[in-house]
Amino acid sequence: MEKLSPPNQDSATSDEEVPEQQVEEIQPEQEEEWGGIRTDRPPKKSLKPTGEEIRVIKEASDLYRSNTFKLQIDALLPNVQPKAKHKPPLERFLLSLHALLSSLPEVAPKHPLQAARTLLKKGVSVPYSDPLPTEETNWKVAFTKPSDITLVGSWANKACVKGRDGFKYGIDLAVEMPSDLFQEKDYLNGRFFHKKAFYLATIAAAISKSELSVDVSYVSTNDNPRLTKLVLESKADDSANDFTKLHAQIYIIPTVSLQSPISLHRLSPVHANIRVPTDSDNDKSLTLPTPLYNTALLTSLVPRIQLLSAHAVQQATPAFNDALTLLRVWANQRGYGEAGSTGLSIRGFEGKGPWWTALLIYLLLGEEPTSAGKGVGRAKSRPLGKGLSSYQLFRAALDFLAKHDLVGEPVFVKASKGHRYTPDEYQSNHDVVFVDSSSTINLLAGTPVGSLKLLSSDAQKTLEILNDSSSSVDPFSDVFLKDYRDLQTRFDVVIRVDLSTVKSRKPDLHLTLDSGSASNAILASISSLLSQGLGDRIKAVAILHPTSTLRPLSQAHPFSPHIIHIGLVYDVTNAFRQVDHGPSAAETDPTVIERFRDFWGNKADLRRFKDGSITESVVWDVQTIDEKAHIPSRIVRHILQRHFNLTDEAVHTWQTSFDGLVRLPESISRYYIGSGLAIGSKGALVAFDDLVKSIKALSEDENTLPLSVMNISAASDALRYTSVFSPVPLPASIASVLPPHSKYVHPIEFMIEFERSSRWPDDLRAIQKVKLAFLERIAKGLMKTVPNCQASVVVGHGSRNSDIEDVARLQVVTVEGWTFSGRIWHDREATLLDRTINNTSGLLHIAVKSKGERQGREYHDAIRAREIYTRLFVHSPQHHRAISKLCHYFTAFAGTVRLAKRWFASHWLLGGHVSDEVVELLCAQFFVKEGWDTEVDKDQEENGNKNSFLNRLSIPGSKERGFASLIWFLKDWKWEEGIFVPLYGSAVSISSQPKAVTANSAGAWRVRTRIDPEGVIWTVHGPDAIVARRVQALAQATWNYLQSMELSGNGSVLSMFDHPTDDYNVVIKLDPTAIPRYHQNITVDESTLSKGSKKQSNDGSSSQIRPGFDPARALCLDLQGVYQDTFRVFYDYFGGTRVGIVWDPSLKEPRSFRVMGGFSCVPTINPESQHKTQKSKDRNLVALNEESVLGEIERLGRGIVTGITIQE
Amino acid sequence: MSPPSTISGFTVIPISYSKSSTHYIYARAHISNKKPGQKNSWPAGRTLFAVNVPPDATERDMILLLKPYGIVERVVFDSDNLYLLEEKEAEEEDEDSDGGDVEEENVVGNGETQPRKRRKVVAAEPPKVFELPSIPLRKLRKTGQSAHVVFLDESSLDRLFAASHTKPRPWPTSSEEPSGLAHYLALYDSLRPPLDAVRQHADSSMDLYEFELAKSKRQASKYKKGEAIVDEDGFTLVTRGGAYGQTVGGGVAVATKRFQETGETSERKRKRSKKEKTSFYAFQKAEKQRNELLQMKKNWELDKAKVEKLKASRKFKPY
Repeated sequence: MEKLSPPNQDSATSDEEVPEQQVEEIQPEQEEEWGGIRTDRPPKKSLKPTGEEIRVIKEASDLYRSNTFKLQIDALLPNVQPKAKHKPPLERFLLSLHALLSSLPEVAPKHPLQAARTLLKKGVSVPYSDPLPTEETNWKVAFTKPSDITLVGSWANKACVKGRDGFKYGIDLAVEMPSDLFQEKDYLNGRFFHKKAFYLATIAAAISKSELSVDVSYVSTNDNPRLTKLVLESKADDSANDFTKLHAQIYIIPTVSLQSPISLHRLSPVHANIRVPTDSDNDKSLTLPTPLYNTALLTSLVPRIQLLSAHAVQQATPAFNDALTLLRVWANQRGYGEAGSTGLSIRGFEGKGPWWTALLIYLLLGEEPTSAGKGVGRAKSRPLGKGLSSYQLFRAALDFLAKHDLVGEPVFVKASKGHRYTPDEYQSNHDVVFVDSSSTINLLAGTPVGSLKLLSSDAQKTLEILNDSSSSVDPFSDVFLKDYRDLQTRFDVVIRVDLSTVKSRKPDLHLTLDSGSASNAILASISSLLSQGLGDRIKAVAILHPTSTLRPLSQAHPFSPHIIHIGLVYDVTNAFRQVDHGPSAAETDPTVIERFRDFWGNKADLRRFKDGSITESVVWDVQTIDEKAHIPSRIVRHILQRHFNLTDEAVHTWQTSFDGLVRLPESISRYYIGSGLAIGSKGALVAFDDLVKSIKALSEDENTLPLSVMNISAASDALRYTSVFSPVPLPASIASVLPPHSKYVHPIEFMIEFERSSRWPDDLRAIQKVKLAFLERIAKGLMKTVPNCQASVVVGHGSRNSDIEDVARLQVVTVEGWTFSGRIWHDREATLLDRTINNTSGLLHIAVKSKGERQGREYHDAIRAREIYTRLFVHSPQHHRAISKLCHYFTAFAGTVRLAKRWFASHWLLGGHVSDEVVELLCAQFFVKEGWDTEVDKDQEENGNKNSFLNRLSIPGSKERGFASLIWFLKDWKWEEGIFVPLYGSAVSISSQPKAVTANSAGAWRVRTRIDPEGVIWTVHGPDAIVARRVQALAQATWNYLQSMELSGNGSVLSMFDHPTDDYNVVIKLDPTAIPRYHQNITVDESTLSKGSKKQSNDGSSSQIRPGFDPARALCLDLQGVYQDTFRVFYDYFGGTRVGIVWDPSLKEPRSFRVMGGFSCVPTINPESQHKTQKSKDRNLVALNEESVLGEIERLGRGIVTGITIQE
Repeated sequence: MSPPSTISGFTVIPISYSKSSTHYIYARAHISNKKPGQKNSWPAGRTLFAVNVPPDATERDMILLLKPYGIVERVVFDSDNLYLLEEKEAEEEDEDSDGGDVEEENVVGNGETQPRKRRKVVAAEPPKVFELPSIPLRKLRKTGQSAHVVFLDESSLDRLFAASHTKPRPWPTSSEEPSGLAHYLALYDSLRPPLDAVRQHADSSMDLYEFELAKSKRQASKYKKGEAIVDEDGFTLVTRGGAYGQTVGGGVAVATKRFQETGETSERKRKRSKKEKTSFYAFQKAEKQRNELLQMKKNWELDKAKVEKLKASRKFKPY
């Protein structure tokens, strides 16, 4: 019966009939909602998903992280894979290359040196490696056409991934050398490599001579001459064979088959295959194993085998290639791979393509059960299913990298026939063991341990991002699209070393021979000696240098990198230890002491310690806290100097320059160093505790204070270690010798809370008066009980304020010169203010007045006062406590904040546009993660938990790294989206979306915390959208400079803090002698600070100390208040000598005259309408009177302003 | 090019700050637009309304400036009187502004440290508030402010408008109030008055507060909490706030707080909840399933569109 239904109903069964009719009904509605997407399709088809579609959709949401994630992966993959349309020329080229190679004429066996001379005449030198053949050699090199030519590696498997910085796709072409060229003993003394080198050179000569339009050059992986390959790059000549567009290069790799006469047995890691007697009487070198040499030889055996094994797994696992691509993109973004000429990559990952493949194979095949007892203890990881999606495989690989300790636990991929050499053989000679499924080669031979630790930490970080389901931000770009290769945010200290003068103190001939070149040997020994010297101070040390470069055929040996960067990741609990203990003096074995002394040189001392022990030790003297942070880099310098003859000029770090940014100039600080005063945050805290005690003592006496003091809480960055300058007091003794323009002491804020009482008046104005009365009593009481203490009551802050606002402050100057400023918290104020704002007045619940009346003065005052109340009394103390805790657990946090504040300040933003607290919050995000406080508390209890949170490598261990992280963050931050900082724990509800940022709201940033889900408390007064964009631009410029500074090795840190003034319309110059904070200026002229040049500009007042008196700041605040709709003011409150002004762009155009225009205006005459009938509108146009405004500024700033420059 | 002499009915008075910069004040006679019922605070005929007065102008400065035209009785800066809102026209007077009081505040100049003027309540003599000591200080107001200048004599206005204002007159800066660095020094010191003065001020302010509180609470009793609110037509507002669930001032019982705030009672609403079963019939189940599929597809398409958009912005090139 159903079949009779009209043909447009394509369903044939009665079951579907009902829904089908529903479709007709729903249709118009659907059309409206998402009609835009499917306009080009027949409506019915798109409405009801087909079975195939359902499968795809289900798969995307189940097998991938989310729909979008899957779609994004699909969009990413084609961008990193070679384009199919450019492939045909390559195939034609490969055919002709194959023809050429198989038609090469034989070269009769010759003496190697003689053969090299012949080739040199053709401009091709033979890349013989050490130990070089000599005239006495009695074997010969020869050439016969290759027995086999195969495409191998990732190209053949179609798993090729684009490299960073324009690094080309690599097409590996394995050219198998005929077995009859070799003899059984060729593994000895590099004979195999010589034969291979000649073979390669012969091919090189043939190709460069041939018709093929390619550039031929050599390249040696890891600059190891034994791993030299031939590189063919197409010349762009638009011929049929021109594969330039493919952006690829062909590597010709000479290989040898497993059937060759060379004995595999002799190539196990324990065998010694270089037997060149170093000294006639020393036979040691004969017996030392040569694991790297053996591995290099094995590398020539494996390409084909690897291809086959990868291919087999690939066939069984559909998502293999995609997963591998994702993995390699991820790795490339983090510097674990090859990069073009501009980028640095982490040492040990060049040419590690086979390893990434083997890693996935390992996960899919599982582990070879090792006979050794070691593997029994840990749970065997089970092989993964073959049907996993690319994302799942990628995650599994990250999981392995994050959790598996590659250094401690060797990995043997499951092999079909078991493994050739025993695990012990590997472990005794390699740091890291990862043996592939063909069981021929340790893929991680020669990879430094530190590099792997970094890799593991990066994997961990990425997993955290992927697991964080709460974050509203899409993790895709964080995982795959962002470039993480910068040094500054990854390493706590970056040391740039110029190796051109390197000279090893004890050249290790054996190591040089094993690793193939002197430079490789030196890098290896630098790495190992640094690890030895730094010990538990660091979590990882990594060496970074550019990927090895192509070299012309005429050059037999690779360039070695002259400039390397050493990156250290601190273990902050040990990094700054001042003493390293060596063997005890009672040590019986003299060689132990001898070794220690030899390692440290003149730094080693025999010392007696407090506990009575006498040990060999190394002591690092420090004068200041800053120097303490330099100990690890000093150790590196010392080791490089002692063992590699690298003087201080060749080793460069930037720490000292960064320290100088947050330190007072020497001419000021020397007074404090000599004075014996307790300075810094510690001194301030002691002084504060004393003050708290005295105030509490006062409150015990009923006559002094009618209510007792409940709480006194600090709320100042000076008491939480995060003030830019370490806080100092200003006692009279020092004040008298300081020049007048450096006599500044910043009041330290705190808050007094009295016991609850019903005696407080129920009126906002009266409350302010009661506060005055309380403060007056405390002030009098303090003057009586504390000797030489000066206390006064501050009744306002100068600018416009209403009488319901909390302005009363207690100012206390202690005898040591510390200054405090206290305010009183009364929680009833909040209720009263809310009543005014909501117009409930406590009685009338339904009386809602008209809108006009609501916006009266009282209402606006109340809004303002409420905002100040919330900030000062609710959030400020909480913030203070949280930040203090952070400073306590993370040593680098305080320094990071100080640098960051200095940066904001020196770009004229801090204080006026960016609050101190928001800088602290932004910096905190690099240290905390969700649940950090509970984890920290747990750590305290069970000390030494190894995988604990505090031990993460991603937490900055130095202020420079923290600062770089902040700049990196700021340059890319989409502040429209805001950010959540889990400082107080995780978000309560994700649903509370931040308020939309509008163009004219005063604060554009949204920094949310648990206690401030809106994220506006610290950003309500700025930065606005314009300033936020400026911050971004400044951060980008700073970042670029930071990058170039570390790569080039020159450039001063100060330039990042040098503010460009071109963008300001007007720059006002201030008189340095009128600014009491001038000594804090970033580019202070120290000569004006010395006593000799003291100018008595204002004699009478200079003798008196006015704590917190900063006329320049007051002027800027006044200007911003008065001209709030006319311009924006930018000023560096740390003694800046210039003020920047940007006119409001909306005032540029003349507008008609209004009484309440809100700006100073000048009548203009519209030139066009001058002769026409003048309309009233035209006649009444006015424009901003810039000259008059500047004239007023000059008058307002008389005595401070010295000049005004108008910039075009 | 000389500026026009009038603009929108305002006379343009140029003032020279220095050789290069000229400031313009716009002035006209004050026009009263009061409704009959309101008290007219500005004397008609001798009040000048000036716009764009310099932000740091003091009363003395204005008196000096206008000296050639006559003797000035007082100067009132509007921002002290009104809360400035963009929408409000300047000439709407604040009903509360009491001329004499304002003048006193301006002579002293340092308004912020003073207690707010309180509405005078007659009857018993209120206690006097000891003011905090103050010195003449410039008060900075927002730029582009307006002011009312009251001349002693009506002829002054005519003289002012009759005069030619082509040549800028220099801005007189009175030396009484310091400016610039000296201003900030003086301000700093004045904000930290002697402790005795603070005490006197605080105590006397509290006395005044107590006095006013006592007056307003005079007829309060235990059972009649608050004072009944009677509007101008003589109606008593019945609202919460009295004791024992009664209206303010007592007498009548009032509705619950919840009802007042929301206008709803909760119980009745709950009963009306849906009884329909959503997955009882087969067609309902089928429909639900179908809708789920449709929703899934829709989300998929949305995601796809999103990624397409990102793709268009070349976002997927990692390097």
